[in-house]
Amino acid sequence: MKENFIPEPAVIREIITQNEQIRTFRLELQDKTKAFTFLPGQFLMLSLPHCGEAAISISSSPTALPLIDLSIRKAGKLTAAIHEMKPGAQVGIRGPFGKPFPVDSFSGRDLLFVAGGIGLAPLKGVVDYCLFQQELEEDSVLSMTLLYGSRTPSDIGFQETIKNWQEQGVDCRLTVDIADEKWQGDVGLVTDLLDDCTITEKTTALVCGPPIMIRFVIARLSSMGCTDEAIITTLERHMKCGMGICGHCHLDDKLVCVDGPVFTLAQLKTMDVMELG
Amino acid sequence: MIDLKELILPKDNLIPLLRKLKKEARLIAPVQNAYGDTLFSEISDLDSAHIDLDNQPQSSLKPFLLPQQEILARYQVDKAGYTFTPPEDEQETIYFGVRSCDLTAVLYMDLIFSKPVKDTNYYARRNQSLIITLGCNHPFANCFCEATASGPYLEYGYDLQFIDIGDCYFISAGRIKGADLLDQWSYFFREVQEEDRKARYQLLLEARGKFTRNVQVAHACRRLQKEPDPEAIWEALSRRCYDCGGCAYVCPTCTCFSLDDMVLDDTQGLRLRSWDACTSSGFTRMAGGHNPVDRRCHALKRRFLHKLKDDFARHGKVSCTGCGRCIDICFGGVDITTFIDLVTAVEAS
Amino acid sequence: MTNSIGELKGAEVLLVTGSNTTETHPQIARNILRGVDRGAKLIVIDPRKTDLAREAHIHLALRPGTDIALINGMMRIIIDEDLADDLFISMRTEKFTALRDYLHRLDLDEIATITGIDLQTIRDAACIYARSCKSVICYCLGVTQHTCGTNNVQAVANLAMLTGNVEKEHGGVDPLRGQNNVQGACDMAALPAVLPGYQSLANLEVRERFKAAWETDIPQTPGKSLTEMTHAGREGEIRAMFIMGENPVLSDPHLGRVEDTLQHLDFLAVSDIFLTETARLAHVVFPAASFAEKGGTITNSERRVQLCHRAIKPIGNCRPDSEIIMELGRRLGCPGMDFDSDAEIMDEISLLTPIYGGIHYDRLEGSWGLQWPCWDRDHPGTSFLHKYYFARGKGQFTITEHQEPREGVEEKYPFTLVTGRGSYHHYHTATMTRNSRRLVREYPEALLEINQDDCEKLGLQQGEMVELVSRRGRVRVKAQITDRVQPGTVFTSFHFWEVPINRLTIDALDPKSKCPEFKVCSANLRKVDHD
Repeated sequence: MKENFIPEPAVIREIITQNEQIRTFRLELQDKTKAFTFLPGQFLMLSLPHCGEAAISISSSPTALPLIDLSIRKAGKLTAAIHEMKPGAQVGIRGPFGKPFPVDSFSGRDLLFVAGGIGLAPLKGVVDYCLFQQELEEDSVLSMTLLYGSRTPSDIGFQETIKNWQEQGVDCRLTVDIADEKWQGDVGLVTDLLDDCTITEKTTALVCGPPIMIRFVIARLSSMGCTDEAIITTLERHMKCGMGICGHCHLDDKLVCVDGPVFTLAQLKTMDVMELG
Repeated sequence: MIDLKELILPKDNLIPLLRKLKKEARLIAPVQNAYGDTLFSEISDLDSAHIDLDNQPQSSLKPFLLPQQEILARYQVDKAGYTFTPPEDEQETIYFGVRSCDLTAVLYMDLIFSKPVKDTNYYARRNQSLIITLGCNHPFANCFCEATASGPYLEYGYDLQFIDIGDCYFISAGRIKGADLLDQWSYFFREVQEEDRKARYQLLLEARGKFTRNVQVAHACRRLQKEPDPEAIWEALSRRCYDCGGCAYVCPTCTCFSLDDMVLDDTQGLRLRSWDACTSSGFTRMAGGHNPVDRRCHALKRRFLHKLKDDFARHGKVSCTGCGRCIDICFGGVDITTFIDLVTAVEAS
Repeated sequence: MTNSIGELKGAEVLLVTGSNTTETHPQIARNILRGVDRGAKLIVIDPRKTDLAREAHIHLALRPGTDIALINGMMRIIIDEDLADDLFISMRTEKFTALRDYLHRLDLDEIATITGIDLQTIRDAACIYARSCKSVICYCLGVTQHTCGTNNVQAVANLAMLTGNVEKEHGGVDPLRGQNNVQGACDMAALPAVLPGYQSLANLEVRERFKAAWETDIPQTPGKSLTEMTHAGREGEIRAMFIMGENPVLSDPHLGRVEDTLQHLDFLAVSDIFLTETARLAHVVFPAASFAEKGGTITNSERRVQLCHRAIKPIGNCRPDSEIIMELGRRLGCPGMDFDSDAEIMDEISLLTPIYGGIHYDRLEGSWGLQWPCWDRDHPGTSFLHKYYFARGKGQFTITEHQEPREGVEEKYPFTLVTGRGSYHHYHTATMTRNSRRLVREYPEALLEINQDDCEKLGLQQGEMVELVSRRGRVRVKAQITDRVQPGTVFTSFHFWEVPINRLTIDALDPKSKCPEFKVCSANLRKVDHD
């Protein structure tokens, strides 16, 4: 049976508008008996009628299953098309694909999340997952801090989520590149927020955002003493198959869709990666 | 590797044998068409087809095992929802007259379509195939398979290997399927004599001396493993790559592909897999416009490193099979042999 | 081409002028590059730093529209350096003295100023070209699409004759034809003043022969050129048009006038394989069969007549061009247009067209084709032209003088706009190529090439939108910062209907060839602020 590339039908249950550019689509598999699970950091190939497929990272935690969140920014044809869709609409998904964040190794660690723009989407699942673990058991993460940068105040996404996190003890700090009259928070690059952070040997940093942000944040973290193994990032690449065959997401001898998208800095340093400059 | 079985097929028996085989399966062989082009083609009528075993087929088996454009699914958008239907299964196919380089390429495809996930569509075709190779007694003008360890004769991987030893073929069965075929049609063959074996050995020795190109593949490979990337060479060659994709399309081991939807009407369409080329800038460019590969200096880097360095590191063997097809297709004159020559020349100077 | 394509790789010097060969003629570029790899010297004359110019030993980046001045300067240097081929000039040419006297009056420093190229570079190029007796000149639309296009070609011919680089295997003057069969279309008299095989309408004997074959009267006076027809205006003399496989609503200069003309015709019929912008204006559209759905021949740049076979049956109601023409012809009172097969059409061509005299389907079948002139069945075809004689007898030198483009730059329009093909991936008005997902992926939208210096002055960043304005129209297009163009010059293509650049181009014509000046008009541009 030629089944590799056949997507599984899913339904959009809910749409949450994060800002003008970003919306979160809450999906559920149409066939509720299908076994489906994933870990934070993995992605799906999302099909829309007449638009083909695109790789989208899952922004929720598996603890929220059977619901699966995809937070999507308008960037190309497919992402623009899903922004036009309404709850109840059908989509197709394949996956999950890729290496997740090593969530099992986070117990006893101080997690420092550094995100820019839509880069918060893949990290959001990790925060939710760790919060769930904290509720369940004692030996979970020590603390969580989020540094989140946006271009302008109106570009800030996930505001509701961040408020909830704060109530649950996640230290969330926001900054914008360009402020407006109403903005009273920090202004500047997300790297500036690192000035107020302390890095210990218990810190694990999780970084996601535009390539240029990743480059500067990683450089800053390293200079603050964070080890290469304790800096984890997730890369975005052009992907087609999701399963390590089509070749589009090549990175030297690695393929981002199967060897990543989550990589430690130690791993990235062995490759020629634009995020490192 | 030890062959399962060895027999001799008199040349007069070839067409009668193919006639029998064609009854049970689709038969593909190198056929010369009316314009003088030799291409692997399906044979509908053995008596009128000109099976050409003297010229290098311009195509490999890639178009059959990984079609240039393959329907992965038909989709429907209607009241019932958004549904996908997989395509039909494949029919049994016998490939005859396959050159050593092209069989090596199939073995390579077997590898990459099996890890980390088994490509169901590729294997639907592959599992239904039986491959009969023909060892090369006369390497063609652009061939360098000896340098890539993929010819002129093979030691494993084929179902059957034919070697032309004059008025008959020396046949070895490398896999069960091939051996079964020999058993089934045993009355077409005779036993191997000592002189047949000697003739085969002699022809192999002679064939190895007939290559006209000296391409230092192993040497280049070693240098690429040990030394930093030859940036200056990338840049010089990439300037001459005009993004036609020809090298990737004729290459029997270039398997990169793209997935796209073809809209048929408002309610239905096809999901297609089609050949792609890593030399194109759209191959890596992302939806937002970022491109991790700068075509101006690295258009050819992925192509050559993948074949000569990454695959060597991963599988212990380069994935260039020395078929030489990319040499004539490149209008910029920057094929893989140009690259290998430059990489190996650095040391000499 | 006077040479064959394959001969290019054997030349010692390749002078390529006004041709972006790697993108527009990749198979010819292959031969040029092979030549270079075998040691030939490559000289490229082009205002843009094309990919081929990057491969050149000498790139003469002239100011657009100054080709004649440059070639005259080169000829003067060749005479001064005593590199002219005196024997060839005396045996095979005439009127050299007048040209020589004219060249002697030229001021080389002035040439350097006009062209914007430093004199030593011109000198080097001239000497390299003249010192070899296997020098080839390839030229394309960068030479012809000027108001002085015919003179540009004459200047190129002067240069070749001066050095004796014609009439031989690896030497000659090779115009690279645009469309795959544009040579064939010209051969078959898709031109105003000739009958097939360039036989003059003025010749009574010729007219009589065609009259007998076609059973209809042949006009004595030339028709009109393309631009004259499409720019006649709403009150134009021509009231009805039949347009085949051409998209003038995007491809002709000064589009405002083209639209005005076509929209006010009494009747417009268009035949094309897709519903083009022009076809949308038509009263009647004929769905034509594509190359794969019909047989016939294609005559390429090297005059090679090649047979094509039908691969699939025409889809839907499509019909081959020949059927459409025959059916129309018969109904319009031309009963001779009645052929049962493509081979029968070719038989008539060979009967009426001496240069195709020996070309028949049975000879083309299973071969690589025949190069005209091919006079009779026994003639093997002609790989290079002008062996022993020129078409007109002796080659004639004609003085050509530099002439500024119709529109110069000025304060209000300080940029020179050059147009042409923008990429390897798209062809003409992209009627066909934009139907390919892969080609669209590789080159999704129009780009305006602009130099870094100009961008800094305009405060322009990569990928920002600019509005480009000429005296005739305006378009919005995305800026691509590049060193391919010099400061003061911008370049874009005519592939994309979203950016109909020919709204801006000028409809000034070469007086002889009637070819419009697509390559130079003056323009201004400004950055578009976000809407």
